[in-house]
Amino acid sequence: MNEQQLVTVTIDGTQVQVPKGTWLVEAAKQIKREIPVYCYHRKMGPAGLCRVCLVEIEGMPKLQIACNTAVTDGMIVHTQSDKASDGRRAVLELYLVNHPLDCPICDKGGECDLQDYAMAYGQGYSRGVDPKVSKPKAVDLGPTIVLDEERCVVCQRCVRFDDMIVGERELVLKDRGVRNIIATANGEPYRHNFTGNVTELCPVGALTSKTYRFKSRPWDLQRTTTTCTQCPAGCQMHVDVRVGVVQRTMSLENDDAISDGWLCDRGRYNVGFYDDPDRITQPMYKRDGTWVQIGWDDALDLWATAIREACTIDPASVGVIGGGRLTNEEAFLLQHVFRAKGVAGLDWRAGRQRQASPGRNSGTLVDLEGCDTILIIGESPAERAPIVDLRVRKAALQKGAKVIRIASAERPYPAPIPSTDVATLAEAIKALPKEPKRIAIVWDGCDGELATSLLEKLPAGAEILTYISGEQPNARGAEAMGMLPFGKPGYGKAESGLSTAEMFAAAREGKLAVLSIFGANPALHRADFARASFAVVSDLFMTKTAQLADLVLPAKGPFEKTGTTTNMTGDVLPVNGAQSLETPDDALSDLEMIVALAQKLDVELPAAQEVDATVLRHLATAPEDFTLGDRRFGFPAGQNARGKDGAFKVVVQTRIFAGGGTVAHDARIAQLCPLPAAALSPEDAAELGVSTGDYVDLAPLDAGADGALLGRPSTGALARAAQDDNVVLHDLLVEVRSGMPRGTVALIGGLPDSPANGFDGASVSVTNIRRAPESTAEAVGAPA
Amino acid sequence: MPVVKVLTAGIGEADLRDIKVYRDRGGYTQLKRAFTEMKPADVQALSDKSGLRGRGGAGFPTGKKWSFLPPDVRPRYLVCNCDEAEPGTFKDRMLLEETPHQVIEGILLGAYAIESHHAFIYIRGEFKRGYEIFMEALAQARKAGFVGKNLFGSGFDLELTVHRGAGAYICGEETALLNSLEGKRGEPRLKPPFPALQGLYSKPTVVNNVETLAYLIPILERGPEWFSSVGTERSKGYKIISISGHVQKPGNYEVALGTPVRELIEIAGGLRPGRKLMAIQPGGGSSACIFEEQLDLPYDYESLQKAGTMLGSGAIVVMDDTTDFVRAAFNLVRFFAHESCGQCTPCREGGHWLERVLHRFLENRGLTSDIEMLARVSHEITGINLCPLGDSIEPFLASVLKRFPEQFEARVARETVRA
Amino acid sequence: MNDFKALREKLKPECDAIIAQYEQPRSALLPLVHLFQAHEGYASADALRAVSEMLDLSPAVVESTVSFYTLFYRKPVGKYMLQVCRGLACTLNGAEDIMAYCRERLGVGHLETTDDGMFSYEEVECLAACDRATCMQVNLNFVYDLTPQMIDDMLAAMRSGKYAIAPLPQSQAPARTWTLRQDLQVSHGEKSAGAQDQSEPNNPGGLDRDGIIMLDRILSDEARFKGRTKERLANLEPAMAEAIEE
Repeated sequence: MNEQQLVTVTIDGTQVQVPKGTWLVEAAKQIKREIPVYCYHRKMGPAGLCRVCLVEIEGMPKLQIACNTAVTDGMIVHTQSDKASDGRRAVLELYLVNHPLDCPICDKGGECDLQDYAMAYGQGYSRGVDPKVSKPKAVDLGPTIVLDEERCVVCQRCVRFDDMIVGERELVLKDRGVRNIIATANGEPYRHNFTGNVTELCPVGALTSKTYRFKSRPWDLQRTTTTCTQCPAGCQMHVDVRVGVVQRTMSLENDDAISDGWLCDRGRYNVGFYDDPDRITQPMYKRDGTWVQIGWDDALDLWATAIREACTIDPASVGVIGGGRLTNEEAFLLQHVFRAKGVAGLDWRAGRQRQASPGRNSGTLVDLEGCDTILIIGESPAERAPIVDLRVRKAALQKGAKVIRIASAERPYPAPIPSTDVATLAEAIKALPKEPKRIAIVWDGCDGELATSLLEKLPAGAEILTYISGEQPNARGAEAMGMLPFGKPGYGKAESGLSTAEMFAAAREGKLAVLSIFGANPALHRADFARASFAVVSDLFMTKTAQLADLVLPAKGPFEKTGTTTNMTGDVLPVNGAQSLETPDDALSDLEMIVALAQKLDVELPAAQEVDATVLRHLATAPEDFTLGDRRFGFPAGQNARGKDGAFKVVVQTRIFAGGGTVAHDARIAQLCPLPAAALSPEDAAELGVSTGDYVDLAPLDAGADGALLGRPSTGALARAAQDDNVVLHDLLVEVRSGMPRGTVALIGGLPDSPANGFDGASVSVTNIRRAPESTAEAVGAPA
Repeated sequence: MPVVKVLTAGIGEADLRDIKVYRDRGGYTQLKRAFTEMKPADVQALSDKSGLRGRGGAGFPTGKKWSFLPPDVRPRYLVCNCDEAEPGTFKDRMLLEETPHQVIEGILLGAYAIESHHAFIYIRGEFKRGYEIFMEALAQARKAGFVGKNLFGSGFDLELTVHRGAGAYICGEETALLNSLEGKRGEPRLKPPFPALQGLYSKPTVVNNVETLAYLIPILERGPEWFSSVGTERSKGYKIISISGHVQKPGNYEVALGTPVRELIEIAGGLRPGRKLMAIQPGGGSSACIFEEQLDLPYDYESLQKAGTMLGSGAIVVMDDTTDFVRAAFNLVRFFAHESCGQCTPCREGGHWLERVLHRFLENRGLTSDIEMLARVSHEITGINLCPLGDSIEPFLASVLKRFPEQFEARVARETVRA
Repeated sequence: MNDFKALREKLKPECDAIIAQYEQPRSALLPLVHLFQAHEGYASADALRAVSEMLDLSPAVVESTVSFYTLFYRKPVGKYMLQVCRGLACTLNGAEDIMAYCRERLGVGHLETTDDGMFSYEEVECLAACDRATCMQVNLNFVYDLTPQMIDDMLAAMRSGKYAIAPLPQSQAPARTWTLRQDLQVSHGEKSAGAQDQSEPNNPGGLDRDGIIMLDRILSDEARFKGRTKERLANLEPAMAEAIEE
């Protein structure tokens, strides 16, 4: 670490030593002296607009703004002198001249910087007798945010966030002078994956979330700090509960290591499912094709009996899928119980991802920021782990890193982010900057061949950091806990069991007697899903997979249980049950279910402390003996196979608000969920004569990569398609996407009503083109 | 006669827009001389020696401004500020429309002096005619080989790009001008860094006024001593003064700095018969008024500053006893409120508040307390803004509030309050 | 739409030349919008989108920038844009009478266009022609030393198509006003309960009409200032308290 030059500054009589160049407003924090700010933000630096951070500095005739004053040695600062107080008072009075003072109905009331500073530094009355300028009170900015123009203090934090942090530049300042307002282009919806952050950045009640508007006052909320488990990033967040319901979540500003102080919209907004009426509240058993509610004791008996009987005949006919959505402790005990019964068919992999731990060269998210080159292969983290994408953007926007995406069918990055899209590995190597020092590889964990050959081709001498932004929040933890067909906890060698694909293959042949699925929805995400003779599913909702099961167990969600989770970079993070959150009476956490099952199966469990210690021991060090694309993860071959001539190859893509579980059962965010869509390159669209907003169907021409698509239309995943003789995917909204490779059509995966999973990698033809009605064309014209 | 003809020479007599006419009168000879006989440093030294100060408003010594450029960072840019919009100022427009070649020559000399190979002129959006005239002149100059590659065989390339504004007074502020030139909103930048270090495209940049650059030509021609021999100790040389308002012959007059204000008003034909002088705004809309008893003040930077006002852009607005000072105050406050970019709070909110209160006075709805409030709020918003615009509201308002309180009091709604 | 495509195609060489003048393409934003406005009469949404594509900027950034400048008209304007100077020097020389005369003759106010689409009227800040006060610009061309007679003659000449200054191109029928505020209200549609109307663009003071009623109430309704407020004011702001005392 470089030795930084320290300078001494005196603030209100207290001396403090800080590194040279520190902003005065930060130096003051060190002696717990708050200097009020509106426009300044630690992550975005000074803007110098709000003028409320005025301080008196000896030797300077005018008051200075503390946000843009770098401390110098011997500087003597007064924040509370008459002159400074008077300046601040005057500025605050100006803020209130046209402020509506509607604090009684303002969501921000109680945690509003304008309220607080007016209280602390204001004069308590106004000399203004003129009526206040009235402005629109509820401007609909987009699907998530509402703007109250009267309350806006034009600090531009939100605008700068969109510019400096996200790089989308959707939110801008319009007009001039006193008429300055926050707006989007032509009133188009404000929509990207990080919009919710502006409500936290807003120092007043101008920008509010639709999900939280008029829901609560901050002092009525009960707050718990936990880890977001919507994706493997592992952002720390506050969960605020009132009347037993999650009202909102908020970021931790000092979570520099992981979230960098931001949350993505999925993590922030997809919290309304806990009290959804669709929630399973009791164990359900399918008797003669009809669901009946049963008690827990009966449910556990049915489950344990099935396992015991199958194990007696052949433990290889028993399988377990799950772990990526469980806590570390749950995953550990899960494999413990089943391994005790001789079962080796354990696999967390329920979707397309094959590997979760990058092994060697695992880097932190802060390290990612320091890379000069970032290579994105497979599906980009933009929709899988948006906060990782935000770090990529930060590296590019603020530190000039070069972002290279290989064979990406994703939307291009917005213009301010320097990024290159290339078609092949060779082109990517060519696009590398001269003598890269630190290269990061961000991979989706799907195509092992691609990852391996990229690693081989990278120039020697560069430090290489590897990241896997996967599908499930605790996939890395589940791997380390031994939810793998080839490894015990800590990647210890184990007698090899069936992988997920092998389990479904066995099921298809009638050789899988009992399959237990925990927090996973393979029927929605995999083409090869097949029913076992007896299937048990633990989930919060009747997912596609649960519907096809024999026994469904009502589980608890992440805010309803306690434990730890492991994020994609290997940090072990706390999962804390939210205080006063109401849980359905009969729902059990997976841990509770596993413990109860162990009792029924007469499996002895280690003591709680022992579990904790064991879990931590296995997670403490990253495995060094493998890297990206390691063979033992069993990657299917030929993922890069090209489609037939004249056909389109299907790429299935994640969208943060597409899914069959918590997203599908959250009424608050219903309008954020995407419609089934097909993205085409502009060239292909022109050839086909389709444009954005039209509708098309897709008809498969041959098999997908995950297995034979045709000839198996009876699987659950293709239930919708099976109604059709021709197995056609219907009614897809066309998006013409620049930068798409030609001959590719991108579908949104995880939509229960449009099972694109069966089409992944398939060759298809585009048929039945229908023109958009005028109005729809307008509505979908804007990039989401 | 105190009126001189240096930059204004030939205006109204010859068609100086024609490059031939301009050259016949000696135009572009100094440019050639500079490129063929002088080093950039020599030009810099001459201007430094002449004591030339910025003619746009701030009056900052030009040579000193140039000296802030870091010696080893390239490219450098010269930007000529022709965004003249200070109320009462109309000298740059005259230079632009009447002697465009003089403007071009001045810019080229300035660019050569600071070794800039790409100069810009930012022309106020409203000056459409001036823009067309300038473009025409630039085409002539380019054809004559005065703009472009390898000028006069010196090996020095110099490009001049004309950039038209689109209606924003604040773009006269140099960092706002640079933002506007970069295709952004004309919002002033947070300083530091200053343009000399990080200006246009974050490269070292100098922004000079049209008149400032044009004076380089006679300074080169007649020597820095000629320029510094007139004026006062620290306000050297000549300046074009725009005189308007209640005078009989409003117009631009080129005079030596230090000429008493009384003489300037006489030059402009004096007041209309039978009228009494009430106030003079001596340096554009941002300056405080001076009054009858101060008529003998020498018109230079220091004397006016000492008198609590400023010379600014050299725009004198004369007001006689027909003036409604409440209306005048409203007029200027409204101007600043209208032109505020709205970035920082005191200027945005304060200006608007004062405008509304003064508007109420115009409707005879003032409160007694408003009078003190106007003075205090306008003072409170001064000195705490990001750029000088917010600080421009107070001077005129405060000076007329103090001088003519009865005009304000007459518009207080006394009867309503007493009820 | 197709008209615009053709225009964009036609102007492409000129646009490219403008962009090439600058080290960074974004600098061409103002000149490009000027160019399109010169052909279409206003800065149309099509033009702004085209500029954002040419300069690789987000549409929001282009709109934000354009909205800062008063000479970019976001909606179609009349054939003649009449901009009367309301600067101090002109005001001292009777600009208010001239403005009142214009408004009366045109039958519209500040920032408005006549119903026949002939004239757009705006009162603008100092035009730097104070020696020829009072002045105005017609389609950005100066007209000096205004008198009511001149205005009558001018309007008549414009109406009969004999005026020396060319009319602005008319690609669309003008709206009542061309300011951004109106724009936003339209695009945001219905306002929620509690939202009130904007002050009229015709009210340069920014004081809204309803507000004056409120002020009257303050001035007349003494009770509002009695009690605690008054006592507090007496301590904190004697001058104001005094005013109320009277």
